[in-house]
Amino acid sequence: MPEVLKAPLVVEFPFTRSLGPVQSAFLTGLRERVVLGVRTTDGRVLVPPVEYDPVTAEEIDELVEVAPTGTVTTWAWNPAPRRGQPLATPFAWVLVRLDGADTALLHALDAPGPDAVRTGMRVRVRWAAERSGAITDIACFAPYDGGPDRPTGHGRAFPDAVTGIVVPARLDYTYSPGRAQSDYIHALAERRTVGERCPSCRKVYVPPRGACPTCGIATAEQVEVGPRGTVTTFCIVNIKAKNLDVEVPYVYAHIALDGADLALHARIGGVPYDQVRMGLRVEPVWTEGARYPDHYRPTGEPDAAYETYKELL
Amino acid sequence: MTSAEAPGPRDVALVAFAQTDHRRSTAESSEVELLMPVLHDVLAQTGLRTADIGFTCSGSSDYLAGRAFSFTLALDGVGAWPPISESHVEMDGAWALYEAWTKLLTEDADTALVYSYGKCSPGSVRDVLTRQLDPYYVAPLWPDAVALAALQAQALIDAGHTDERALAAIGARSRADATANPHAQLKGRVPQGEHVVRPLRTGDCPPVGDGAAAVILAAGERARRLCARPAWIRGIDHRTEAHSLGVRDLTDSPSTRLAAERAGAFERPVDIAELHAPFSSQEVVLRRALRLDDSVCVNPSGGALAANPVMAAGLIRIGEAAARIHRGTCDRALAHATSGPCLQQNLVAVLEGDPR
Ligand SMILES: [Zn+2]
Repeated sequence: MPEVLKAPLVVEFPFTRSLGPVQSAFLTGLRERVVLGVRTTDGRVLVPPVEYDPVTAEEIDELVEVAPTGTVTTWAWNPAPRRGQPLATPFAWVLVRLDGADTALLHALDAPGPDAVRTGMRVRVRWAAERSGAITDIACFAPYDGGPDRPTGHGRAFPDAVTGIVVPARLDYTYSPGRAQSDYIHALAERRTVGERCPSCRKVYVPPRGACPTCGIATAEQVEVGPRGTVTTFCIVNIKAKNLDVEVPYVYAHIALDGADLALHARIGGVPYDQVRMGLRVEPVWTEGARYPDHYRPTGEPDAAYETYKELL
Repeated sequence: MTSAEAPGPRDVALVAFAQTDHRRSTAESSEVELLMPVLHDVLAQTGLRTADIGFTCSGSSDYLAGRAFSFTLALDGVGAWPPISESHVEMDGAWALYEAWTKLLTEDADTALVYSYGKCSPGSVRDVLTRQLDPYYVAPLWPDAVALAALQAQALIDAGHTDERALAAIGARSRADATANPHAQLKGRVPQGEHVVRPLRTGDCPPVGDGAAAVILAAGERARRLCARPAWIRGIDHRTEAHSLGVRDLTDSPSTRLAAERAGAFERPVDIAELHAPFSSQEVVLRRALRLDDSVCVNPSGGALAANPVMAAGLIRIGEAAARIHRGTCDRALAHATSGPCLQQNLVAVLEGDPR
């Protein structure tokens, strides 16, 4: 068996989310160093506040200021902080019931070690130096020796409220394509296109994914296909993609390689975009050092008859 | 059923179950390559072909392997052409089984194939799972799965329900029982290790690994023809907790209790219980919510502490319970599956074999 292929894969998005009125008031409050909760219909104060009563599902919007001080209701010592977490040095995760609130808020507690943390200990919000209206406007909590801090007296929403948040998210993977696709990629590096035949229906799949989607069984028999093939259908791309140095308009096509029962897709070059047509015979164009064809170009053969590729659109 | 009786809901049973060996990495296989052997296994157990299956439902998450639409690629392994009646949930396969069970109750189908798979090895599952949290107040802090479980474990310790020694014993018992499970990933004597996030140590946490599972459901007489001793689903229900962790009492699981009540779990004692508790501390919560005393054999398979292919581990609990009924070593079993942080959402199924 050839070596298993691996490559780093990063999935990264900035998630842009709009806020409901209660979320907006809470996050705007954090920007102004004020913690606002919301009162439920049975009189409890929820911090962090939500738009709907978690028990009755009623819409709730009565804002209540609570203190930036509170009590730890449970904790967990994190000896090895991970990317994105509130502190880069070892810290305690804590649920904190702020003075005046009936529920607890999750955040980090900056403490010298686990021996300095216990359930029931008093803590105080440490504000971030730069605040934008986000949960991270609370940098963390810090140990605090005292009673409830005085509220600022600002029990209402602030002007110039934040209406949305942008939250970056990034996950890192080591991607492996599996057995069938690894074989396909290894062969491509030798400028060969290799598909796999279904032992039951005899169809040849290119690129192979390891299974016949009709029969639901594993494919294993390798079959070299192409290199020439037929354009079965195509589209003309008029919008330039980011990070792509191909001039528009260009043609992207489904190509049934000779011997394959499934069309793959690739760019067509070496011919004006408006002269590409169904049935056009093409061949791959390799560039030095590339692990796959750069594009396909016309072979000059007569076009294939529709009957020969109509099942491969 | 005689014609004089009012038509009641149909009896639905698990008639076949298969799972892969669960391993730290399956880099040599794509998801469909991982999945195909278990699909073929359950079909072979029943003698059914894909074309005989009335409904297909799967559970998985593309975030685990970072591969968009992997669930549609996985369908290649089913043989989904010509088109089949099919559905997918971005949840553990236990919830796919729930959907399939409902479908069979409607009499739209007599048989269903349910499968799920989890490929945790390409990513960091601790971090991946942060993406399921409240995106406004919680996810921006990246509290990983172990951290949240540790907050729950500390709450249990503070409440006097357990301590670190008792938690270690749960892990040790699970890995000892797993020596009889050829599919388990972590078995035998495993060091309890250092704190990952205190109070949870390595031994309190599940192994990270890849795996897949499949079951076949069938209704009424069809089930009896496909399986010598079907595992009848006597009840199944799922319930969820409030969204915010700070609103919940983390030492209790009212949603599990309610689901169990609705599934009929408290009507008669069960012989065994397969609980989906990826962390040792969660077994403490579940045992209390389900009122399981020492007379009930809990997680004879080793449970999720011995193999935790995320998105399949809950379905495997139901499959393990059913397999014991199939083999005749158990008459009435409880199976539980969970989803989300700190036992956020819980499913309970009660399975029974015909009297012997
Ligand atoms: Zn086939």
